[in-house]
Order: sequence, then C-alpha cells, then structure tokens
Amino acid sequence: MSETILEVQNLTVEFATYGGNVKAVRGVDFHVQQGETLAIVGESGCGKSVTVQSIMGIIPMPPGKITAGSAKLKGKEILGLSAREANKFRGVEIGMIFQDPMTSLNPTMTIGDQIAETLMVHRNVSKAEGRRKAISLLEKTHIPEAEKRAAQYPFEFSGGMLQRAMIAQSLACNPTILIADEPTTALDVTIQAQILELMQELQRTENMSIILITHDLAVVAKMADRVAVMYAGQVIETGTVNDIFYRSAHPYTLGLKVAMPSNQSDRNKRLTPIEGSPPDLFSPPKGCGYFARCPNAMKLCEDHQPPEQIIAKESNHTSRCWLQHPDAPSVDGLHQPEAAHAG
Amino acid sequence: MLVRTENLKKHFQIGRNQTLHALDGITLEIAENEIVGLVGESGSGKSTFGKTLVGLHNRTSGAAYFRDELLPAKFSAADHLHYSKQLQMIFQDPYSSLNPRMTILDVVGEGLQIQGQHSRSQIKEEVADWLNKVGLNSDHMSRYPHEFSGGQRQRIGIARAMIIQPKFVVCDEPISALDVSVQAQVVNLLEELQQSLGLTMLFIAHDLSMVRYVSDRMAVMYLGCLVESGPSDEVFFDPQHPYTQLLIESNPEPDPEHERSRQHIPIRGEISSPVNVSAGCRFADRCPKALDHCKTVTPKVTKISPDRLVACHLFE
Amino acid sequence: MESTYKPKASDFAPVKSNVHGEQISRPSLSYWQDAWIRLKKNTRALISLYIVIGLALFTLVGPYLWQVDPALQDLNQISQSPAWPKTSILVGPYQRFTPVVLDDFPAEPEEYLENIPPPENIRTSEPPTTQHVRLVWDPVGGAGGYNIYRNQRVPEGINDLGLPLGSTLGGNEVSYEDRLNLESRNYYYSIVPTDGFDESYEYQTLEVTPKLAITFNEAIDRGLIGPGEDRELNSEIELEFHPFGTDYLGRDMLARLMQGARVSLFIGICAPFLFVFFGIVYGGFAGYIGGKLDQFLMRFADFVVALPFLLFMILFKIAFGIGPGESGVIPMLIALVILGWPGTARLVRGQVLQIREQGFIEAARLLGGKNHYLIIRHIIPNTMGVILVTLTFAVPAAIFTEAFLSFIGMGVAPPTPSWGSMCNEGVKTMLSHPHELIFPAVFISITVLAFNLLGDGLTEALDSRMRSRE
Repeated sequence: MSETILEVQNLTVEFATYGGNVKAVRGVDFHVQQGETLAIVGESGCGKSVTVQSIMGIIPMPPGKITAGSAKLKGKEILGLSAREANKFRGVEIGMIFQDPMTSLNPTMTIGDQIAETLMVHRNVSKAEGRRKAISLLEKTHIPEAEKRAAQYPFEFSGGMLQRAMIAQSLACNPTILIADEPTTALDVTIQAQILELMQELQRTENMSIILITHDLAVVAKMADRVAVMYAGQVIETGTVNDIFYRSAHPYTLGLKVAMPSNQSDRNKRLTPIEGSPPDLFSPPKGCGYFARCPNAMKLCEDHQPPEQIIAKESNHTSRCWLQHPDAPSVDGLHQPEAAHAG
Repeated sequence: MLVRTENLKKHFQIGRNQTLHALDGITLEIAENEIVGLVGESGSGKSTFGKTLVGLHNRTSGAAYFRDELLPAKFSAADHLHYSKQLQMIFQDPYSSLNPRMTILDVVGEGLQIQGQHSRSQIKEEVADWLNKVGLNSDHMSRYPHEFSGGQRQRIGIARAMIIQPKFVVCDEPISALDVSVQAQVVNLLEELQQSLGLTMLFIAHDLSMVRYVSDRMAVMYLGCLVESGPSDEVFFDPQHPYTQLLIESNPEPDPEHERSRQHIPIRGEISSPVNVSAGCRFADRCPKALDHCKTVTPKVTKISPDRLVACHLFE
Repeated sequence: MESTYKPKASDFAPVKSNVHGEQISRPSLSYWQDAWIRLKKNTRALISLYIVIGLALFTLVGPYLWQVDPALQDLNQISQSPAWPKTSILVGPYQRFTPVVLDDFPAEPEEYLENIPPPENIRTSEPPTTQHVRLVWDPVGGAGGYNIYRNQRVPEGINDLGLPLGSTLGGNEVSYEDRLNLESRNYYYSIVPTDGFDESYEYQTLEVTPKLAITFNEAIDRGLIGPGEDRELNSEIELEFHPFGTDYLGRDMLARLMQGARVSLFIGICAPFLFVFFGIVYGGFAGYIGGKLDQFLMRFADFVVALPFLLFMILFKIAFGIGPGESGVIPMLIALVILGWPGTARLVRGQVLQIREQGFIEAARLLGGKNHYLIIRHIIPNTMGVILVTLTFAVPAAIFTEAFLSFIGMGVAPPTPSWGSMCNEGVKTMLSHPHELIFPAVFISITVLAFNLLGDGLTEALDSRMRSRE
C-alpha cells in the first residue's frame, strides 16, 4: 500500500450566524494516499467545501471555527497554524483550484505574471525564470500559444482556458495534493471532459494526489479511485469507487444512484427521487442525519447516531448506517455483507 | 403542430458594428402533448430560443406560430395577457425567479390576480390546491420565498406557471441549479403534470442524460443553429452530426466501469463567439470531419430518416 | 461522536417515512421583520436609532417643554456658561456717581518724586454689584492723578495690570466708578498713582467680586417680579435659568439649539426626501424605459453632478435674493434638491436595470402584467431597501452641508438659528466662551454620526447576501 499523504480525523467546524451556531462539519475522517484521487461527494450545504477549506485554513474565522479534529500532512499537523506557517504549505504542498477561477485570479495582472509570482514567492526564482516556467506550465496544461496567452489578462480567457491557467498556477510548486473544488461545475460538458482528461493526465505525470469535491456522480465515476460520500456534515460512506457504485452500503448513496437517469435504463421507467430536503444544520438531528428522508428508516435511527460500520476490510469500505448492524433487516438493493447478517 | 417556428432569428446589437447572432434561423415543430428537449452548451442560444418563443424577446426575423396563428413579433402587455393561457415558462434560477417581497400566496396567485376574474378567497383556494399538487404544504402560503430550499422554490415556480393551465410550457433549465437528490423530484413532477394536464413542453437543459430521459424528441443547438433533431433515444444512441457525437462522447456517466472502458477524447477547442459570425458551418473550426467548403457554405438541413434532421454537409 | 448505543431488537422496526407535506421549522418572517431582528442585534445601530428618536423628540417636543423665546436677549447674562439657576440682588435705579474729591489735599503734586508710593486702603464705597463697582482709596503725596486698571486674575507685576479703565485727574480725586461689562466674577482692580506725566512703578490691588444685580424696573419688565408684588431692595431674586448658557447676545442656548435643530433637521430630512423621491422617479423611469432616452437622461444627470456645488449655492442665493427678515431656508432646500438627486437616480436606475432582468419580472410579464403593475408590484418594493439606506446616508450629508454652508455664511441668514450658523457665531468667542461653539458642534457631530451608524446598520440588516439560509 502506498504512503498516506493527508490524514483528517474528527474534523468539526461551526459557523456563528445571527441565529446561533451552524454545525457545518460534524466529525469528518478521511485520508488520501500518494497518487490516488479521493472524491468527496455531496449536495450543496453538506459541508464538503467547508471541510477542505478548513484544511487549507481559508475559511473566514470568525464566523467559522474549527472546534475539534486534526489534519496531518505527511505526519505534520496543519490545523490551527498561524497565517505565516500556513502559507508555507498552502499553494506549495497543496494546490487548490476552484469552481470559479475568476475569483481567485487577480484581474489586474497577466496570467503569466501571476504564475511567476507564485514561483517567486515560494521558490525564490528570478522574475525572468518565473516567467519562463510559467509559460512551460501553461504548455503543460495544453493552452495553445502559451507564450502569447501568458501576457494576457484573466478576462481575455474563456472559462475552460481560465480553469487550465488556474491548474497551471496550482501546479507551479509541484504540490503533492491538488484540491479541486467543483472544478467543472460551471463548464459545459465538452469543456468538462477536456479539463477532467487534463487532470488525469497531470496526475499521472506529476504523481499527485487529487481531492475532488463535486456533486456530480458521473464526474466521480470518471475520476475517482476512492469516494467519501458526505451528508449533513458527516461522511456517511467511504470506499473504492466500485464499492460506492456497485456495492452501495448506505441508503443515501443508493438513493442518489436511482434518482439519476442512467443511459442504459428504459426511458419509461420513472426516476425515484429522494423525498424532502437535507436537514437544517442549524439544529442537526439527534440521530442519523438522513433519518427524515430515508425510505428504510428504523425506530432507533431517530435518536441514535449510527456508528461507522466496516463493510469490507480490505478495500476500507465503511458506512454509517444502522442497517449495517448485524441485527438489522436486509434491504433490497443495499449492499450488506453476508457474514454479518442474520437475515 | 402546436408550436412551430420558421427560420426564427434573434440578433442583439451589442455595439456599433457588432451583432450577436443568438439565434440564426431556427425551424422547429413541436406537436401537441410532446416534450421536446433542447440541448447545447452555454452560449448556444437555447435559452434565447425559449424566451423568444414565449415573447420575452422580440424576434429579429422569421416566424413563430401557435396553432397556426402567427405570434406577434413584439409582445405587448396585452399580447402577453392574451397568450398567458397558452405560453408559460419555468425559469432556471429558483432564487431570482420569485419576488423576495411577495408571499407564496401572492407569487403563485399572481396569474389569477392579473386576470382579475377571481375573488381573493377563490385565489387562495386555487393556490392551496396547487401547492398541494406540487408537493408543498399549503399552510406555507403566507411565507416568503427565502424560507424555502431550491427544490421547493422551483416547485413554487412551477405552481405559478401551471395555475392558469397553459397549453405550452418552456422549461428553461429547470433543474440545473438543483441538487441531484432534488432534481428527480422536479422532473417527476413535471412529467406528472404533463401527463395529467396534457401539456406540451420545451425542456431546455445541458444535462444530456436528463434530456434524453425526459423528452420524446431532442434537438441539439450549436451557436444559434439547430444541428440535429430526432427522437431522443435515436439521437442519443446514434448521433449523426459530429457535434452531437462530441457532446455525447463528452457526457460522463455515473458508472465507473463504463467510464474506465471509454476511449479518451482528444482535446478539441471551445465554442467560438456568436458575435459577427460569417457564413459556413458554425462547428467547422472544431469539427474533426470538416471538409473544405464547411467554412464557407452554410449546411442545409437534411432529412436522413422520416423524423430525423441533420444540418451537416456530410449528409447532403 | 461515536455512538456506543447497543440496539435492542425492537429498535429495528421500520418507521413510516415522514416527509410528506414538507415542514419548515424556522418561524416565518417577512423581509422587514427579518431586517428589524437583525437591526436589533446591532448595538451600535440600535443606540443610533435611539439617538435619532431622541433628536426628533428634542426638536418636536422640546420647545413645548422649554418655552423660552430663542430670540429674547437676557442682557444680565450675556455669554453665560452653562450653570445652575442664578440669583441676583434687586437694586434701585442707577444713581449718578459723585466722585470723591478731597478739599484738604493738593490736586497738583507739591514735589515730583522719583517713585510715588502706592495708594493705601483701597475699598469699595458701596457693595459691589454688576450695576456698578465704586472704588475709593487714600490719597498719596506726590500724586497728580491715578490710573485704574482691571484684571481678571491676580496681577503679576506692573506690566500685568490688565485693562486700563481710566484715570483721575488730580491727586485729590480718589474714587472711580466701573460700569464696564461687569459680570459676577472676581476682578482685580489696581490703582497706580501718576504725577500728571509719568506713571509710578508702584501699585496697589483690590480683589472685588460684584454681585449680580438687577433693577426693580427691569425685573418687572422681564417678568421676574409680578406687577403687584412687593420686594425689598437688596433682596435676592431668581434670574432666568439657562441650562446650556447664553450666547454673545444673551439668548438662551437651549432654546436656540432646539430651534436650530428644527432648521437643520428640516433641511436635513426634507431635502433628502425630496431629492430621493425625485431620484427614484427619474432613475426608475430611465432604467425602465432604457435605450436612447435612458442614455440621454443619465448624461443630464452627469451634467448636474458636474456643477460646482459651492458656486452654484452662492449664485443661487444671489439669484433668489434673500430679503430682510427671510431665513434663506427655502432657497437652500431648493438648491440642495436640485443638486442632490443624481446620486439616487443613478442608484435606482442601476437597481431597476438589475431587477428588470430577474426571472420574476419575466414571469409577471408572461402572466400579462402591465408596466405600471410591474413597477408598483415588483420593482419598487425590491428597491425599497437600497432607497432606505440611501436616505439614511443622505440625511447626515444634508445636515452637514447645511451646517457647512451656514458656517461659512452662505446658508441660513441671522437671526434664524441653525446649528451651522450657531457654530459660526460661537467661533468668534471660542476662546473665552467655548460653550457657544461646543454645543452646536456636538449636536451636529452626534446627529451625523448617529444617522451614519444607523445607515450602516440598515445596510447590514437589509443586505440580501447575508440572508441565505446557511
């Protein structure tokens, strides 16, 4: 097994609002290994973006507050670092790209200069050297006429090109992890395909790990090695991409799958939506966060948080659901390991 | 045909010598009780087409018919009122499409109120009825839009359009701003309403899988032009136009094994600007199968089977 | 949060799904209710709101509680600092002073001394009052006259005797009556003998504290004594109370501040209301119509912005011609409105352009809504928040402009008080009687600050970005 690069344990983040504290992230554990892609999937408001932003130290504090947990990058704690210490790994060890590249690029600087500046700050290179490297980075992300493009400003770039430039910038310091927060949500499918291909290619050549945050299961299927499914501020299922798609062990994951039209399926078959809306994390439910929407909800789900159940040890497949308890009834379509089950 | 357009054009003047060709001659027929899906990338003009059809944009040239009745090129408020029971629209953004200062009762009942043929209590009854029909609690009608989630808001928007029982509804990306778990709720609701009310729909979206699932026929747009149309499954599984092929190749599926076995797509340019376009096929600069005359001669729409149309020189 | 709960068999009983007819647990709030709750949580804005309410009461209710004519001059108490109520002694009408001239002493010096000794035994011949202070002293040999000086502190030497009041012309004229602007405070009178030509280097000082005095007739005039009332001479009588003191003409500061507040707040509130209203109509019209007309209207607004404000005010004032007895409030109001509207017009136009593109407008058009329906039902309610904020920021700006113009003498004409013109008058006596400047200045500052903080609070409370569900 390859080396674990990032290990996050029991991460808990709250936001103080006018009405009180919103528990955006409630005890999240995950790890990322060298060269793999971990996808964090969930709906808007499930805490997936807050999770990685807390790790990067870029949530606004206050109102945000990390109340518990640890995140170790190659064994070194990175939570609660001072701004100065955080800058040493932010953008160096961990690169990050966002849904909207416009917000993270300076509109008054040329693309080339922005990438060169990253290098000058973190790698102590000269300006000329930085510019030269910036052009080679832009070439690496397949931006045509990189030299000409480097001298242009962000507004002269299209959405797809900007995302490429953003990736080039995040790669400047050869990060070990690239965090991609909904990198293709704002893009059209043809451009999305190009960017995803590019990320896969760069992962192979640079031997990076990628944390991909998305709500799109199709993107997950294309990109991920392992998947963490988040719901209401918690990771409710983790496993390899095949575990999640073919052996779903949580009713929410199952529900997401049947709520989407599949290309093979019959058009006349109706979609099965997940009824209701996610819970208000203003006052998170006492028991399972999915209780109110779960078609298989049981009596104990309302008041008791389900523990993390190991579904398959070798692939590290876990699920937070009482249905995985040895005494629980079996459910159609839900993957329940046979050994653990009575019937 | 319930709705029919002939060579519909919409150009926006955006500068002295700059014209944005949002729609460049769209000819489309929509039969009664049919759901037609319209797909395309952003900037392809699919939303403009929907809005021009219902009269929110004035068309530059061409014609649009509703039941063989020529729709006015420029809709006045009276025209809108006249056609309000025929043409309605469901909007993309569930946040900006509901007036934040109005209660749900006022939002949903607006159509009845403008028509002025219902008393306040009748409107209230109708609204309660429709809120139940779209799966919302009718006790919530005195609440304000910001208290609802995106999916709930979209259902409120649907109730607002449906309360006056229109014949034809344009759904402008009704699910693209919603979470996956909620999308199915809205799609199912639209399908139910379509069947129970005998609606005709134009379903605009960029999610190919969803359009294929929802619509009977599918039309693909690129830079203001229709490049291909036909029955959904045929277009989806057997795309003929090179652009449709690229679009469907790029569409990822929630199936890891399938994704792994899929061939890698070569990098192929981006949609170009619709400003001051010249003659020739719009897709020529990205097309892997482009011929010499593609860049200079506009391709004609060709019927390749009884109900499939393709606009490409390869089929002429 | 790992659960250690050991489930029982009965716990695994299925539960009916409970999502039908979705419930919302948060209480229902309209836009304004929600904004009010946010505003209440903002302490600064809330305090400012109370101050603004207090100011309104001060202006509107104050004059009924404090019924003092702001134009009435209290000549007994000119430039009076804020103090508790003062008492005065009743005196008779002024009696002419007969100087004391000694017959048994030579008027001319008999010999010219190098240095004449100071006079001894300086005293007041009658109890000193603010009506008059009468000094007498013993004559000095060699003196051909005496110079009388008055200082407000103990003199430190011959060159620090203070104000020269006058001289007596003769060594035997040993008295002096001082009636010069007497106040009820300590005075140091110094007498320096002269030989008719040169002043001595010696002096003698007497400390005198005159009592506040008022004559019978005056007391009856001012209503301090009822017409039929009988009072003894030299008895104590209560004077008018000036809690905030008086100005340089003896006018009551509190009454003037109240009346000044009326003028300042009238302009400060009327002008913004008028120009914001005009701006809404103008900007709303331009934004809603759009196209060429919009371009033309907005270029005209730019032209108005480009007018130099001060120059325009001065020209306007000349053109309008403020006649005698006119306060100049109305011309100033008109000028402020004429020059103030383009900001609001631009803002409202921007808002309207933005709202016009929103889905709910398109939806209402599809439902057959006419233009006036769209404007009244959809556009105006959605611009109200921004308009309210503009208004709260426009008020302090207008108050400040009024104060500034009045301060430089281009605004409200005397005797009409406004805070700005009161500052203008106060600045002249800033060093000796600072309260005349400080009070109006403090009122201007607090008002402007309160409105600004309230505006900040409103901006925050009405900001739609902070109204998301998370």
